[in-house]
Amino acid sequence: MEIIANYGDILLVLAVVFGLFMAWGVGANDVANAMGTSVGSGAITIKQAIIIAVIFEFAGAVLAGGEVTATIRKGILDAALFTDSPHLLVYGMLASLLAAGMWLMIASSLGWPVSTTHSIVGAIVGFGAVGVGVDAVAWGKVGSIAMSWIVSPILAGSLAFVLFRSLQSLIIDTKNPFDNAKKYVPFYMFLVGFVISLVTIFKGLKHVGLTFDLGTSYMLAIGFGVLVALVGTIIIRRIQLDPNENEDFHFTSMERIFGVLMIITAAAMAFAHGSNDVANAIGPLAAIYGVIESGGLIGSKSVLPVWVLLVGGGGIVFGLVTYGHKVIATVGTGITQLTPSRGFAATLAAAATVVIASGTGLPVSTTQVLVGAVLGVGLARGMAALDTRMINKIFLSWLVTLPAGALMSIIFFFMLKGMFGA
Amino acid sequence: MAKSIIDGLFGRSPISPLQQHMSHVHSCIGELSGFMVAIHAQNWDEAERIKSVIGTKEGEADKLKKKLRLSLPSTFMMPFSRRDLLDLLLIQDSIANVTKDVSGLMINRKMTLPDEIFEDIIELTNVCIQTSEMALKAVNELDELLETAFGNRERKVVGSIISKVNDLESESDKIQHTIRTKLFPLEATLPPVDVMFYYRAVEWLGELADSAQKVGSRLEVLLAK
Repeated sequence: MEIIANYGDILLVLAVVFGLFMAWGVGANDVANAMGTSVGSGAITIKQAIIIAVIFEFAGAVLAGGEVTATIRKGILDAALFTDSPHLLVYGMLASLLAAGMWLMIASSLGWPVSTTHSIVGAIVGFGAVGVGVDAVAWGKVGSIAMSWIVSPILAGSLAFVLFRSLQSLIIDTKNPFDNAKKYVPFYMFLVGFVISLVTIFKGLKHVGLTFDLGTSYMLAIGFGVLVALVGTIIIRRIQLDPNENEDFHFTSMERIFGVLMIITAAAMAFAHGSNDVANAIGPLAAIYGVIESGGLIGSKSVLPVWVLLVGGGGIVFGLVTYGHKVIATVGTGITQLTPSRGFAATLAAAATVVIASGTGLPVSTTQVLVGAVLGVGLARGMAALDTRMINKIFLSWLVTLPAGALMSIIFFFMLKGMFGA
Repeated sequence: MAKSIIDGLFGRSPISPLQQHMSHVHSCIGELSGFMVAIHAQNWDEAERIKSVIGTKEGEADKLKKKLRLSLPSTFMMPFSRRDLLDLLLIQDSIANVTKDVSGLMINRKMTLPDEIFEDIIELTNVCIQTSEMALKAVNELDELLETAFGNRERKVVGSIISKVNDLESESDKIQHTIRTKLFPLEATLPPVDVMFYYRAVEWLGELADSAQKVGSRLEVLLAK
């Protein structure tokens, strides 16, 4: 208790700094993957991608990031065990932030595909199990998080498969793909707006102090979906069929309509990514704040302050603006086989899956969900060539990242313990 | 900066290299009609020149074939089986190979075609070229097929092209038959070894149309998955 009283301020400042560092890392590294399918499909330019990402990553973080933040903050560890030594929780969360942030930097400078989510979860479990005791970890919750890492890409893949098949039979493989695209695409736009806003209203907004009853929630979500569809329809109406451009390839005009849809889906993806991955940075920060604010009481009913969400959202945007645009620019040439129709199916499936995970409070890896979604489109025979070696690389990155995050956080934990006293 | 996961997920599409290969093959076989005319006119310089053009084009197709083979790791997930794609490539390539063989045989033996069958040989050659052109057209539909994710509509379009390939091939069979019936009564008046090789040349020309047809049917297998 004395440690909290004596060093509370400095620990909190450290937490904000480390949290910003981590959020910066998320923005600098991860956003590129989230936006990669949109940029790669040629639907939006890099500049537009950055603008969309800045707005919607931030919105997602602040409006819908609360639930996953709660999981990282108090779901992974059994808070009851820290009642007598709340400062250990503060050290641990600080150590986890630092470990995950450092690991991300090391790994991405070596070119390893690692997930921010796995780094932070590994780090928290690591310091909890070794620094405090195996019982300190809520293994049940950790188990369900680990399950979600397997389930979420599969879910996204299935969604993408179904979505793409519906596009195929309603629009692409018809007599007049262009006309049918104009007819049906607004419906898909509605779907994007509806799903994202519904999950956000149900699960996210309560963390910023807004609650609605069931009926109002649905009405709001439908209203938002209709709004998105309306705006989209107006833009689509301006797209004209140009018979000349379809001579070599009959679907060029149709793909331009999907390009509009892709912009909306890219926004949804940025929102989803913000809602899930901001927690990796601010979950630990929120935990530290909770302990220090209450003067060392664990499990106090303190709500998540909005400024913490703002720190996370701001950090992501900062990372994106300072560094992320470079990463987005490296999106390569192979990805160009992802035409807007494919990009749409994969991105929407991934965004929906991630937002649902955010609503359920499960921290998942956006990138891996996206990989699952793209593979789903591939299974529907929509892709020319996907390299399945990536699946092995993902599993390999799990095997490395989880222990690496854990090991580093254990080291930092004992260092902090030495510096500030047990 | 290393490749990101999303980036690394996408392999190079084999479709446009495959189409490129087929159009090289087609331009190779396309040289045959000029070659036949030169042979018949006994213009050996011209025939020799065309023969070397055919050789070059066959070599280019070969290079494309090797390149495509090497860029198709077994870890690729494609909308068709890798095996079928490689088979298709091999059949396409055989058209160029046979073209080279026919032209080589004819020029080495300084084969002067009897006037009685010359018209038919020219017609047979042209039908073979048309068959290959139709097969090329079918192969060129592959990017549309991919865009529709091998939807039924586009498959029917390709199916009708393939049935035209088949029609042309049976036409080539008929012409072969005509040539043989005309050749038989002439046998006694011509040098026996020459006659043997006339039959051989006709057979190889027929093989060209056969291979083009096989391209079509292999493509059908590829679509069905």
